[in-house]
Amino acid sequence: MMRKYASEAGGLRAARLGPHGRSATARTAHNMSAAALRKRSDASLVNKVPVAPLRPILANLQEVFLGTKLAVLFPAVPLAIAAQCASFGQVWVFTLSMIGLIPLAERVSFLTEQIAIYTGPTVGGLLNATCGNATELIIALFALIQGEIEVVKCSLLGSVLSNLLLVLGTSLFCGGIVNMDAKQPYDRTQADVSTGLLILGALCQSLPLMLRYAVGAGEHTVAAPTTGLDLSRACSIIMLLAYVAYLFFQLKTHAQLFEPQEVDDDGADHEDDELPVIGFASGLFWLAFKTVLIAILSEYVVGTIEPASQSWGLSVSFISIILLPIVGNAAEHAGAIIFALKNKLDITLGVALGSATQISMFVVPLSVIVAWIAGIQMDLDFKLLETGSLFVSVLVTAFTLQDGSSHYLKGILLLLCYIVIGACFFVTRQPASHANSNGAELSLVTGTLGAQVA
Amino acid sequence: MRPAAAAAPPVHTSSSNCNALARASPLPYWGAAAVGGEEQRWRRLAMDSARATLLDSSSSSSSAAKEMAARHLGRTAHNLSSSSLRKKSDLALLRKVPCAPLRRILDNLQQVLLATRLVLLFPAVLLALAARIFQFGQASSPSILFSLSFQFHTYCCCLRMNSTNQALDFGIFLLPPMFLISINQRPQNMMEWVFVLSLIGLVPLAERLSFLTEQIAFYTGPTVGGLLNATFGNVTEVIIAIFALYEGNIVVVKCSLLGSILSNLLLVLGTSLFFGGLANLGTEQPYDRMQVDVSTGLLILGVLCHSLPLMLRYAVSSGEHAVASWDAGLELSRACSVVMLLAYVAYLFFQLKTHRQLFEAQEVEEDDDDDSVSQDDAVLGFSSAMIWLGVMTLMTAVLSEFVVSTIEAASNSWELSVSFISIILIPIVGNAAEHAGAVIFAFKNKLDITLGVSLGSATQISMFVVPLSVLVAWIMGVPMDLDFNLLETGSLFLAILATTFTLQDGSSHYLKGLLLLLCYVAIAVCFFVLRRHGNGTNGNVHHQGVASKPWRI
Repeated sequence: MMRKYASEAGGLRAARLGPHGRSATARTAHNMSAAALRKRSDASLVNKVPVAPLRPILANLQEVFLGTKLAVLFPAVPLAIAAQCASFGQVWVFTLSMIGLIPLAERVSFLTEQIAIYTGPTVGGLLNATCGNATELIIALFALIQGEIEVVKCSLLGSVLSNLLLVLGTSLFCGGIVNMDAKQPYDRTQADVSTGLLILGALCQSLPLMLRYAVGAGEHTVAAPTTGLDLSRACSIIMLLAYVAYLFFQLKTHAQLFEPQEVDDDGADHEDDELPVIGFASGLFWLAFKTVLIAILSEYVVGTIEPASQSWGLSVSFISIILLPIVGNAAEHAGAIIFALKNKLDITLGVALGSATQISMFVVPLSVIVAWIAGIQMDLDFKLLETGSLFVSVLVTAFTLQDGSSHYLKGILLLLCYIVIGACFFVTRQPASHANSNGAELSLVTGTLGAQVA
Repeated sequence: MRPAAAAAPPVHTSSSNCNALARASPLPYWGAAAVGGEEQRWRRLAMDSARATLLDSSSSSSSAAKEMAARHLGRTAHNLSSSSLRKKSDLALLRKVPCAPLRRILDNLQQVLLATRLVLLFPAVLLALAARIFQFGQASSPSILFSLSFQFHTYCCCLRMNSTNQALDFGIFLLPPMFLISINQRPQNMMEWVFVLSLIGLVPLAERLSFLTEQIAFYTGPTVGGLLNATFGNVTEVIIAIFALYEGNIVVVKCSLLGSILSNLLLVLGTSLFFGGLANLGTEQPYDRMQVDVSTGLLILGVLCHSLPLMLRYAVSSGEHAVASWDAGLELSRACSVVMLLAYVAYLFFQLKTHRQLFEAQEVEEDDDDDSVSQDDAVLGFSSAMIWLGVMTLMTAVLSEFVVSTIEAASNSWELSVSFISIILIPIVGNAAEHAGAVIFAFKNKLDITLGVSLGSATQISMFVVPLSVLVAWIMGVPMDLDFNLLETGSLFLAILATTFTLQDGSSHYLKGLLLLLCYVAIAVCFFVLRRHGNGTNGNVHHQGVASKPWRI
């Protein structure tokens, strides 16, 4: 309803500020990229409804459900629920749940942004920092509850890889092709901060892995088989500390480095996005509702991943590392590409690197701590192939982004790295029990620390 | 004696001194060495203060003169950082002593022993000696103890004359009774006491050695001074390594050198950048990238040379390659050590000859109310500096020998592994003086000096001390190689990577320091959890799969 007045009083835009007197309503790159997928909801449609009290409700519904170009995928949500209840076929449930997660993730981001307009920039930034990857967080928590530690590790790892290589690669590639003649600069400071955090994360994940190998090779001895677990938990606390310091840096002391660039197209869209389009209470209600929907679909996904992997002939790790994150990140992915096409690389980098940093330094250690509380033994040892891929991709991204300007070849290189890693996990599609039997020449240590306790 | 025009104005201008010495006449050229540094300094004080009253444009000329003098003397970042820990020695005290030669000797002693803020830790040296003697000769100890305590009290009285802090005096006087009480309880505590006191005693000795090296550098010119600093800058680590090699304790050698590199790269740099970033929150913090890039390039070469023997061992164990003899890794390590030393020599040539201008230390503004002394002229004579250098090196050697021989007992009684103590505890203590200096300069936003200290030390240990240890071990017949085991080499590699990425853009903020610090904490935790040993030892070969060492350590 407020929008009607907003679009008429265009000249008052300069005087209109958010509820807390700041015009920069915590518009992070994340929000702006998701905003690229919004579409204006048509007020004229609602006005045809004769019953007056029904009009605001319908307008609300229209904003929440239809205000996105991804709304076509919404029917997958009830279909997935129906398929589960009617026991259609596990594979159908899996597929429909995955497709249904795409618009839900985008709507959650929209609702977070709306709430952020009410709560002010700092809390909004914090909200975005925690709920920005709500899908991955919820999938990870559900998988933990069901004891599927491999799915947790693989899905989080795959999310980081997808953000660093796939999203960034396609964005830089498409942006480079379209802006072939123009210079494509971006701000190095933000990229360097994120890369530094990612390197710390890679270090903290490598240490338990190296510890296991060192103990297996007899170089060191440990007193208890849970030593690697203790190390992982301590490293998780360190990672969370680093993330808190990063938030403090980003939101308080060096906030000027992280201002998103001005988007100067479609002036009407831009000014409308600065005002909330739904009320605070309704925003919270819808956020809770969507989160419940995501939780339901995530539970279906985690529960049906094994049958799906067997019927498709792909390993669980391949599905978790490659397929799940593509689906979960689809909205961000589209937004990042759109902004790269407009040569706004700071926003693209903010989305891709920011998501990767958030998952690597917040969601992963949070999962370990939650597992600790729940008594589940999840550690940071993501096994050699996964940790090696993560390390190499962090390295490649850091090198690619270190000079401050972009071209399409950078995007192609990152994309090809992702395809190579995907191929590597694709060829491990035999389940684990088959692989060990013909691994006679691969006599590397597979054991846990338990083998070393004398 | 350098021309008078190049001499800097006096740092502590006390006019009473000048009046007393104003009638002193300048000595001829050869007189400087004959008289000794301190008299020379007093004469120059007089001349300079007289000149200062005449010249009114002293500020600009003095800063230019100081710059010239600094460049002429080869003031490295290392020296500047240690100089922040010096303090003024009080001439007024000495003038009360009537006898002139005694005055010189006492001034010499004061310059050498007391002109640093770390002087409080010097008693630890004596106490370490006392503890060792008590441990060995438990029957005849009381008299030795009493005499040592008496000397200690005399020492504290001397300290009291220099110190103005009453609480500090009280604390100092409490030390000997506490010590005497504790050693009476359990004899087997002695080894721990020896270890702890030797470690603490090494801290001021390291700082004094750096001071003496700088003093000698005044006499020998900038190039030899730079070389001296390049070799003696980390003499503590060299001596500990040599003693550990002598006792055949290769694990301690490898772990202490590795820990020194990690501490310089992550701990010293991290805390400096963090506190410097917090203190200078609003301002830009730039530093020169060239020097950083050169050092990190050398460090990467170093870690490559470390990785190759390790990868060779793993490749041989998994059957990918075969070697002719068990010593293949050892030969590879020795060849790599020669390569690393060649690289270090080239680096010295680069730093001291061809690209000097990249390594000039930034100007440090003097805080007149601050006690720190930036000395542009020698305060000791050449021969006395050499003698003191020999004495300090000897004391360092003695304490290092104590440390190396008592490390096993300390690790057993504290339930920490030897690798944790060598990697984390010993380097923290050994680097304490450099650490403090680096943090102080980061506060003042002089990041080039901070980076010069920490990266320079890390490069020196990685590319000079480590290969030197391997070659010395070769001469001694000890089979030390460059294979530092997976966990240690992996941590080193990741630390160098993190530092390289952090420093590559040329400006700093506090988050960079915090990230490096957290990397250090993570690596320390990793070595801490290895604290309890299982029943197996490092050489146990009854394991499946990889790399049970085919050759002995």
